[in-house]
Amino acid sequence: MEVRAGVFLCNCGGALKNIDFDAVASEMAGIPGVASVHVSSDLCLAPARDRMISCIREENLNRVVVAACSPELTEYPLRRTVQSAGLNGHMLSMANIREQCSWAHEGDVTGKAVELVKMAISRARLLQPVEEVEVGVERSVLVVGGGFAAVNVGLLLAAAGLRITLVESTGTSGSDGQELGSIHGFDIGSLVTAAERDQNIEVLTSARVVTVEGAIGDFTVTISREGKNMARKYGAIVLATGSRIELALATDSDSSAEYQGIGGTNVVSQDQLVERLSRPASGVKPATLAFMVDFADESTRFSTLATLGNALAVRKVWDSEVYVFCRDVKVDSQGAERLYREARDRGVVFVKCPAAPRITSDNGRVMVEAKDVLLGEDITVACDLLVAEAVLYPDPATAALGSVLGVRLDEKGFYQENNVHLYPVASERKGVFFVGTCRGQSDVGRVMNDISSVVINIKDLLSSGKIMVESERVKVDSEKCVACLTCIRVCPHAAIELRGTEGGKEKAVVSDLGCHACGICVAICPAKAIEFQDYRDDQILAQIEAVG
Amino acid sequence: MKSASRDVLVIGSGISGISSALELAKAGITVHLVEKEVAVGGHSASFCCKATDVCVRCSACVVPEKIREAVLHPEIRLHTSSTVRKLAGKGGDFRVEIVHQPGPVDPEKCIACGLCTEVCPVDPKAIHAPPVEATPFTYVLDQGLCLRFKGEKCVLCRESCPTTAVEFERKAKAVELSVGAIIVATGFDVVDARERGSLGYGRYPNVMTGLDLERLFAREGRLILPCNGQPPRSVAFIQCVGSRDRRHGYCSHVCCKYAMKFGGLLKYQNPDTQVTIFYIDLQTAGKGFARFYEEYKDSIRFVRGVPVEISEAASGELEVKFEDISLTRVSRDRFDLVVLSVGIAPRKDAWDLAKVLGINMADDGFFAAAESNGSNEASVKGIFLAGTCQGPRDIPDAVDHGMAAASEVLQLLDRVGARPAGSWGY
Amino acid sequence: MSMKGTIVAFCCQHSGYPAADLAGKLGLGSPEALRIIRVPCAGRVDVIHMLRAFEKGASAVAVLGCEEGACHHITGNTRAKERVEQCSMLLKEIGIDGRRVVMFRLSPNAPRKFVDVTNEIEMAAESQGRQDDNR
Repeated sequence: MEVRAGVFLCNCGGALKNIDFDAVASEMAGIPGVASVHVSSDLCLAPARDRMISCIREENLNRVVVAACSPELTEYPLRRTVQSAGLNGHMLSMANIREQCSWAHEGDVTGKAVELVKMAISRARLLQPVEEVEVGVERSVLVVGGGFAAVNVGLLLAAAGLRITLVESTGTSGSDGQELGSIHGFDIGSLVTAAERDQNIEVLTSARVVTVEGAIGDFTVTISREGKNMARKYGAIVLATGSRIELALATDSDSSAEYQGIGGTNVVSQDQLVERLSRPASGVKPATLAFMVDFADESTRFSTLATLGNALAVRKVWDSEVYVFCRDVKVDSQGAERLYREARDRGVVFVKCPAAPRITSDNGRVMVEAKDVLLGEDITVACDLLVAEAVLYPDPATAALGSVLGVRLDEKGFYQENNVHLYPVASERKGVFFVGTCRGQSDVGRVMNDISSVVINIKDLLSSGKIMVESERVKVDSEKCVACLTCIRVCPHAAIELRGTEGGKEKAVVSDLGCHACGICVAICPAKAIEFQDYRDDQILAQIEAVG
Repeated sequence: MKSASRDVLVIGSGISGISSALELAKAGITVHLVEKEVAVGGHSASFCCKATDVCVRCSACVVPEKIREAVLHPEIRLHTSSTVRKLAGKGGDFRVEIVHQPGPVDPEKCIACGLCTEVCPVDPKAIHAPPVEATPFTYVLDQGLCLRFKGEKCVLCRESCPTTAVEFERKAKAVELSVGAIIVATGFDVVDARERGSLGYGRYPNVMTGLDLERLFAREGRLILPCNGQPPRSVAFIQCVGSRDRRHGYCSHVCCKYAMKFGGLLKYQNPDTQVTIFYIDLQTAGKGFARFYEEYKDSIRFVRGVPVEISEAASGELEVKFEDISLTRVSRDRFDLVVLSVGIAPRKDAWDLAKVLGINMADDGFFAAAESNGSNEASVKGIFLAGTCQGPRDIPDAVDHGMAAASEVLQLLDRVGARPAGSWGY
Repeated sequence: MSMKGTIVAFCCQHSGYPAADLAGKLGLGSPEALRIIRVPCAGRVDVIHMLRAFEKGASAVAVLGCEEGACHHITGNTRAKERVEQCSMLLKEIGIDGRRVVMFRLSPNAPRKFVDVTNEIEMAAESQGRQDDNR
């Protein structure tokens, strides 16, 4: 079909004075494929856009080239303008003659402007339409994990009418909730009961996710349980697999042996302390108690928060002398500074040390030896009870599950959010989310926000049962594909899979739903079998050809 | 019973408000995003990139992308230069009166051609381009400099405007909105560094705040002293200016991180620059920050001890008097430049908004969440809090918080679901 | 074929391209010889694109992508760096100074860096002399 391109130049109110628009317009007129050239002064405003629509219709244009300000803010509305004129929105090519030409240089830049428009025209000739289609999505969500975050997410999404499967690897749900419950006062038991009773929620204990295929809206998941595999379909997947808390008992490599020699009931976890506090009458009250925090793990907040809360509780219930040994007091959580002050007001002594204390035992008591920064000297405290530092580690299944799902881990082995700062709960694979401690988030306030965030993210995607998607924007030509698997391995978003084709052979297929349109697969394909509309090889090369 | 209106009002278009607005818009909800200023984006839109040869996850570059997404989304209705004047009704069925006080330049007509600036007769120009990150990129007229607003008859900018975007007298307009829920995302003010008068902010040109530094780097890309245009030989960061003190009894979350990131950036650009950070407790929690400290502890001098006074030495340098806790004595050190890591404080006009909406404020002056069970609902049902207006947080937490507030709004509008069970002590 | 002194810069839409826009808004001067081609990710740029630019007489080719660790598509900027190095080796083999193809990393709100980098490329290209017509 004959290319009929309309070239629309905008002189930005006449202010782009270092471009001779008449000269540009007359140069464009002679180019093959250019059906008409128009000069406007305010293409960003409605009246000029209405005129553009009339031109497209009256002149039977099938390509639109706009030379104006940056496409960053104008490409999207211009695509809609082009669509209102009856053309596919992708038949638009833009040249940035304002920010990157007129504004960027002194002196006359007409020559450069001409080249930039020529580049856009060369590309425009090769543009092809991309249709937006509506696809149905599964109104179901797989939640992996059985703890506090998992159960909450399941309940909230089920209430929105989505079908939920909770997959938990152990025999019971709510295991990490026990610990969180005692520290923070949540009743995980009642949440689990609610989940088990909910008609929209299926709880599968002693189950594992084995494989995940497909893309957002249409995941096919194989779950293994009691030796049997079952295949299920889900619209989205939430990983809420929690973490593991371990006591850092070897705080100092020299003293680790001695530290381990102490044991029994003198060294406890926060959990065990809370348990003892709940039955104050039984057992001997410790006259002196010490907490260790912020030596082995400086990056999580929960152990500081637990320490502050429990230190206050100890003062209240046992009236013991309480020492907190730490490097720095981590108070960047809601209410933490207030707790810290209250603890100090109630006589808790905070000892700030540049390095982890030396722990030894002497006559049944635990001796804590450290350099106190504030005093400037070494001190030794003899304690009856030592609360060891708790460190957060990723749950052992995190790495394996991450690789089944095609998502990344951070340097500590927790799940890595999508570029960290783009979306806190999303992964780099569309439709797969992380909440709670499995992504390293450790204080309850932040975990609660994670839970709510993921709920709305998923509701946005699945509630209506349909998603609009660009059809075949990135497409593998199965004739050229040699199934080398390079694109599949390279795609950062796990959006390409091997699928059987009509010819019988398996070829790479890009999921319209999962694709992020980055083009990395296109560049790496050794057979040049992948076409990426708007950024095809020939479209990029055409722009280069037009230079000079 | 479903709510009367499924529209939502989001007050404030900083990163948190925008996050809330986008999540709701994606759910098909019409969002009225009300912003007091002419441009959207709040404070974080003006932050600078702090990358050395690797990204340091300061999140500053994410903000413009989110702003662009919000401004282009068809379900988000932008009301700039607008404030909330009245509220009636209750959760699920609010009637809000917005006052739109347009400035002289109409953002719907301004094409940023700059012709008005060319013809403006005063110097510095009264009508000029906004800060480079401003969205919409609408020219601004500084009434303090403008001849017309001083009573003279100048109309040159209006005459030169090709789209008739300039009009000097514009009447305020009231807009009535019917919404089912409201999200308050009005953000923060930086602590006024003059609260710590002895630190010399405002008196010495080489004492600046963290926010001043963000803007300087955003414009210049490197640190140069305002007085002589040279890079400083020595820089001190003073933490907790307006945080963890009598007036602001909380940690501002962001200052230790931005000080370390700036410190690292300064060392990367000028390895000879001496960087010192004076702190109380280094807040290195969160992903990757502890590693930061390990990386920089040999090249940056970390001093535990908060300075009490800054004076000018004879050499022109700044002399900082501080208690060096590890040496247990009072010391004095000299620096070319001192950066006060000011904290996040409630906005000075928070009280006015609280009165209009009828929501409570907490002891620390931020808006109060009604329950301590993780809900972000304010003391009035149907009004939710997002971002730093509820308490200090960094950019990723503000995005998470904004989405969480939007999630609760959606639950309210759908009249389904309940808060997760349980509450906790703090 | 003309020896234009053109610098073809492949700018990713998350970094180089918006930085170039900001530089224009601030009125900072970048080389007039710059011709920017917008790509969704630096990882889209292929060696063949870089070589074609040199075939057409470009005096330098730049790929501008996100800072290390900040690529929206995780590995895009790393792959681009590797391809730039491959292209550099190919150029040497055909007698063109391999330093004419470069990769720079920057963030979208770093207009000064954009200007510094592009001006540096122009100066380097000039000092490397005019490209030999080597086809």
